[in-house]
Amino acid sequence: MSENAMIKASSASKAALAFEAEASSRSPQTSLVEQEVLALFDRLREPLFRYVLSFSLTMADSEEIIQETFLALFQHLQQGKSRLNLKGWLFRVAHNLALRKRRDDRRDPQHFAVTDLPCEELVIDPAPNPEDQLAASRKQEALAAVVDALPEQDRRCLFLRAEGLRYREIADVLEISISTVSVSLGRSLARIGRAVER
Amino acid sequence: MQCEDCHLSDQELLLAADGELSAQDVARVDSHLAACWTCRTRKQELESAVAGFIRGYRRTLDSRIPSADGPRALLKAQIAQLNANTRHSSVASLSDSFRKFSWPVAAGLFLAMLLGYFAPRSWIAPQRARAATVTVPDRILTPGATVFIGREEVCRASNTKNKGVSTTIRRRVFEEYGIPSAEPRAYEVDYLITPALGGSDDIHNLWPESNAATIWNAQVKDELEDHLRDLVCRGQLDLTTAQREIAMNWIEAYKKYFHTDRPLEAAKPQ
Repeated sequence: MSENAMIKASSASKAALAFEAEASSRSPQTSLVEQEVLALFDRLREPLFRYVLSFSLTMADSEEIIQETFLALFQHLQQGKSRLNLKGWLFRVAHNLALRKRRDDRRDPQHFAVTDLPCEELVIDPAPNPEDQLAASRKQEALAAVVDALPEQDRRCLFLRAEGLRYREIADVLEISISTVSVSLGRSLARIGRAVER
Repeated sequence: MQCEDCHLSDQELLLAADGELSAQDVARVDSHLAACWTCRTRKQELESAVAGFIRGYRRTLDSRIPSADGPRALLKAQIAQLNANTRHSSVASLSDSFRKFSWPVAAGLFLAMLLGYFAPRSWIAPQRARAATVTVPDRILTPGATVFIGREEVCRASNTKNKGVSTTIRRRVFEEYGIPSAEPRAYEVDYLITPALGGSDDIHNLWPESNAATIWNAQVKDELEDHLRDLVCRGQLDLTTAQREIAMNWIEAYKKYFHTDRPLEAAKPQ
């Protein structure tokens, strides 16, 4: 998986070189938009990546969705559209692209068995001694099981909140009301709380 | 919610902790919390639940996020390509026709099309459309993909012959590259990173190699693959490096590892 990423990374650097000459001929306005997009990429790629991964997509697909999302942002800004709450906008686009990708994958009977691992796998935190490690991993397993068992919408609310979105922004991404977000988060955390205390 | 002596609900406690309450409600919740140990304890329990969740969430996902350097460079390159396309083609009118869709869908479709997922090859970047002879794979469609395999396992395998690609996958590769149905015979669907070097049979590692290529053809690539595998198995080259070099640009890799600008004599067509 990390090898894949590296391969992508290297080919991307190559791509950047190929377009270097092109870049010099761009208009100042495009260049400003590009800088803005890249600044947002630096700030929000990781949160968006985590969110997209939570759809059980492969690393390669997730990476592709992130690229598409930021390209869509570039288009959006270049067309002079609203700059209001770009973070929420990015999450909404990424959410829709991820949903579509997952739907396409499920619909396609020939869908390839990908080599990347899906995201749901649990990473066990190294603890100082085996007993602590076991206890920590059991707790995490229980917690992961609770999160996995939550209804899709509740999980989405939780993941978006974990990425720092406000209730209004979460409501916009998921196209639900703010009070639904609030009820959903309260319910999920009560369940998680029981798993954490156990 | 207005009951002074009632305990606060989980939802209210969470709204307060998340800064989602009005100033008036904040004052009410604060005053209740100051007086009520039960609600203060419950608030802490909810905060522990948040902390427990965040720890698991970040630990599970953070370690899996690859470095941003490559993707950032790719984004820059794609923006440049998008600009080039906007200048050279009627992208604006295509974009207009998508306005009737909701914006995320329109933006997604539009960009996916530019990236070549749905579009005929001639609609994609002009330089791609002209390249009837594919000698280097499209880096977006075929970035290369590997299986989890170590050097020892790679070198232990005696049969390095590539297994065939199914018709369905072949068709999908051709579709992705926008190659018309009449032409497939002119191409061989080849692995970018050969399985002999740990390449996978994922579609991201497959590309239509043109049979019309006369200089940088499949035999030349095979020669490079054999050479890199030799170097890896002799311990002179890291497996990951070999995979990366071949995925970046196999022709450049050939030039680098054979110290030549042209394919060696043996690999030239007779």
